[in-house]
Amino acid sequence: MNQFRVYCPFIGPFDPCPPIREKVYSTPPNLFLGFQPPGLPQFNAHEALKLGTLWPALYSPYPGKQT
Amino acid sequence: MEEQYYAMLHELQAVDFVLVELNLYLDTHPWDTMALQQFNEMAQKRQFLAAQFEQCYGPLLNFGHSASPHGWRWAMPPWPWQV
Repeated sequence: MNQFRVYCPFIGPFDPCPPIREKVYSTPPNLFLGFQPPGLPQFNAHEALKLGTLWPALYSPYPGKQT
Repeated sequence: MEEQYYAMLHELQAVDFVLVELNLYLDTHPWDTMALQQFNEMAQKRQFLAAQFEQCYGPLLNFGHSASPHGWRWAMPPWPWQV
């Protein structure tokens, strides 16, 4: 489930620097969740520690460098 | 240090993280009794794990937040960055 979106900034003939064709930004689930409902499913303690959150619904991984 | 040291510390760390998450959750959901019950259970479990760890390997915290029953081991190695 990829939480990243891309947009393409405008590239003009007078840009001072080399153009960046695609900008990537993250949209973690908490943007869409609003006020967290009670009773969401949970990870167990060790998984939560490893993944960085107690609730799978809010899990937002930070992927490494995709070579 | 032996394997058990790390295992107990890892367990304590996992329980602590769950407590942090539940604490932050309860800040905005004080009325959620299920989460409150889980939080209290986890707090009790954390007390037990910490006491168990301190019994074997000395105090985790100083300034009275942890007892040091077997002699003063607070200033004794191993230090956190050594393990």
